[in-house]
Amino acid sequence: MSKELDTAGQVIGGQVASILIRQKSGNKLELGELLAVDENEDSYLILQVFNLFYGSQIPQSARELAAGLNLEGVQSGLDFMDPKLRNYILAEVKAIARITKGIAKVPKILPSFFSSVRYATKNDLKFIATETKSPVYLGNIRSGSKILDISLYLDGEDFFTHHVLIPATTGRGKSNLVKVLLWSALDQGKFGILVLDSHDEYYGRNTIGLKNHPKVNKNMLYYSTNAPTGANTLVINLKTLEPKHFEGIISFTDAQEQAISIYRKQYKENWIEQIILGTEDDTVNPKTLLVLQRKLRIALGVSVLDDEIICGNEVFSITAGESTIRSIIGSLEKGKIVVIDTSRLGDEAELLIGSIIANEIFYRYKEAKGKGELTEKPVISIIIEEAPRVLSVEKIEQGGNIYSTIAREGRKFKVGLIAITQLTSIIPRMILTNMNTKIILGNEMATERNAVIESAAQDLSDESRTIARLDKGEAIVSSIFTRFAVPIYTPLFEEFIKKKDNFDTSEENLIL
Amino acid sequence: MYKFAHMSDIHLGAHRDQILQELELTTFIKAMNKCVEHKVDFIIISGDFFHIGIPELSIVNKALRKMVEVKEKGIPIYVIYGSHDYTPTGTSIIDLLETAGIITNIVKWQMKDKKLHLSFTTDKITGAKITGILARKNGLESKYYERLDKQNLEQTDGFKIFMFHSGITEFKPTYLTEMDSIPISCFPKGFNYYAGGHIHEKGKFKLPGYKNVIFPGTLFTGYGRDIEATVKGETRGFYLVSFDDAVKKIEFIELKSFDGKYFEFDANGKNSVQAFKDIQEKLKTLDVTDKVVILKIRGELSGGKTADINFTELKSNLLEKGALHVYLNRYSLTSKDYSSIQVIGNDTSTIERKMFKENIGTIKLSQKHLKGEAGSKLATELLEVLRQEVKVGESKREYLNKIQSNGRLVLKLNEIFEEEIN
Repeated sequence: MSKELDTAGQVIGGQVASILIRQKSGNKLELGELLAVDENEDSYLILQVFNLFYGSQIPQSARELAAGLNLEGVQSGLDFMDPKLRNYILAEVKAIARITKGIAKVPKILPSFFSSVRYATKNDLKFIATETKSPVYLGNIRSGSKILDISLYLDGEDFFTHHVLIPATTGRGKSNLVKVLLWSALDQGKFGILVLDSHDEYYGRNTIGLKNHPKVNKNMLYYSTNAPTGANTLVINLKTLEPKHFEGIISFTDAQEQAISIYRKQYKENWIEQIILGTEDDTVNPKTLLVLQRKLRIALGVSVLDDEIICGNEVFSITAGESTIRSIIGSLEKGKIVVIDTSRLGDEAELLIGSIIANEIFYRYKEAKGKGELTEKPVISIIIEEAPRVLSVEKIEQGGNIYSTIAREGRKFKVGLIAITQLTSIIPRMILTNMNTKIILGNEMATERNAVIESAAQDLSDESRTIARLDKGEAIVSSIFTRFAVPIYTPLFEEFIKKKDNFDTSEENLIL
Repeated sequence: MYKFAHMSDIHLGAHRDQILQELELTTFIKAMNKCVEHKVDFIIISGDFFHIGIPELSIVNKALRKMVEVKEKGIPIYVIYGSHDYTPTGTSIIDLLETAGIITNIVKWQMKDKKLHLSFTTDKITGAKITGILARKNGLESKYYERLDKQNLEQTDGFKIFMFHSGITEFKPTYLTEMDSIPISCFPKGFNYYAGGHIHEKGKFKLPGYKNVIFPGTLFTGYGRDIEATVKGETRGFYLVSFDDAVKKIEFIELKSFDGKYFEFDANGKNSVQAFKDIQEKLKTLDVTDKVVILKIRGELSGGKTADINFTELKSNLLEKGALHVYLNRYSLTSKDYSSIQVIGNDTSTIERKMFKENIGTIKLSQKHLKGEAGSKLATELLEVLRQEVKVGESKREYLNKIQSNGRLVLKLNEIFEEEIN
């Protein structure tokens, strides 16, 4: 392609955060499009379009009159003289990176006045595809709606420990993104990722999913109350539950907390069983016991029949599931992905299971750090859908929970969160700021976009419109591990894995 | 109403100590007598009947005498191979007893269309249909479950019993978290009774689709850990199951083989001399007559060597005081002065596994399966093979062949599984 055809436009004015470019006629610049301005042989600037509008040398009244003549049939075929010269498109762009000898830095200069602007090429952007030890694929770099042949990988060690926020409204490709991300992590088997899958959509019970990954048997475990052959049945023994697991999930009064503490001390690991059975204790008010009994029965989905505990939701048991939590923790500590199908559970039961595992992981890793053993352990990340259920302002004001603790302190102990939400605005600013990578998908709600923009790693104040117009699969990755907010396109999972040579669709690909 | 007895993990021949060996055999005989007393229609043994595939014949002889007696009373004994019953040659004492018509190995299968098809053995008197999967060393039986044709088993009518000798993932006790196990989803649904073995602790479980998943635990004690558990109060015995077209009652028949005494000493902060003196003093007051004694010494000595504590003398003193047997557990004892012992655990196998795990990183290895977790597991298994002793009447050549063959199996140099399946 000749240099002339490559030219997208020319710098004609503006200021640091808003450089004006006149679009070359015949071109179609897009919102989010990546452009380049050469400075010299070794150095160039990458620009990104964030606004588009019309420019004209003809007065507004003359243009209005010309349109009227055309529309009303007074004089059809009327046109301006030298229309390409007189009417044009102007683009507002910002400089997002200055690359000198292959090294990207934050630009602190403006491109030369009247400099020629061209479309950014794969070569211009290859600095993004730097090699990492543990690459996790998020998608391909996107320039406007054009998908470039450059993959965006972030280093999993950094990416997972520094927390990730995935904000988007329904139907913008959240699940697809998470599936692609998990598939990429499964390749490596060195990240422990806990997935509380409230829609049972990642494993691929009846469709293609993570179960088709060639390393699934080695690197992944799947738990479900309705486990397919070879998978583990999700059953947790009530004895493995501790009072701390309920923090922030179920609210107790002071009197109830005190009663829990008494039963824990008295009956050790059988404390829940005794409360549910209604075993009275002299030091606990019978009314308090009754309320506590009811709260625990509802949360755990259990009832009592002829002095026997019946577990309705089939997750909690008084006999089975003694080693389930340990097995899950052990697998995560071996860098495996653990997918738990919580689609048949109530909100509280799902959050409780997450809380049990998150608590154990966090405190084990904290202890490991104290003993100097943390470096040997893999990074662990917890994917939590509808994150405000545990990370909202309201939940945190009620006293917080293990998820807010991990959001605040997890990074020090190699434990991270991947919070998925439609409602970013109700998550406290402090927690949003700690989410050092944000994979922003399309969102029409201005309040939600603003909450994301205000806490992003890069200045996205001009990107609100771009975010609103992101199509399915399109996203912007704003991270402390990228030089700028990178526009990406995450391919459709089914298409993505078809390109992989090692894709396995055989029915015998069982988890054991 | 019919009845059957379900026992497992008898491990006849596990003990070298004369007294324990006798107790072990007596317990088995007691169990058989109880079965006769309760007029059971049949007995099922879910694996690890004997501790090794070809045990000492004197033990077999005594057990056989009792089994013949039971058989003559019209009580059939149905068994499956446990992980200990297996021999690399493919023939074990189980096969000999079956050929002699004393027991019936109920595992009958064929491979068809890459699927494992099991057949039922029907008990003549009760009509109960029994099938199951045998166990292999190192959890290799998981391959059988992977290929199991469940549909046919689930569609068969009648009172059905599924025998197996494996840990089930969902029912493993906490201390066996790392043990190889089979998810319950691999088992056929809808059987009336799942007769388990392999887990040495008794347990009754259920999950949707799986009623009555039962592990009777070891009948006597197969390992040191079992003795400790028994002394601490774990009851041993077997399950007696009453049924007609469904299970009506499951009752545990306890067999008390011995009285036990558990003594634990925390040596933390004491030097070896002080600790030895204190233990001696405390043991003086202990009533150990006719009891199996567990002497557990743990903690970190502030000075001296762990070997400064004369364990032989402590043991002799207890035996002189009339103890039946003394089981010494000092695996959790360390000393500040000596860092050679760097791992602690509850039993030998745990310690060995931890030792291998800790040291495997110091050796340069090129092959993936020899590194890390897989490598330490392999080393533990190989050590188990190499630990086998020469049996009475076994020639040097036979012993050598046995060790080589078992070693090859552990190192996966023999594609035994494939040979059997195909």
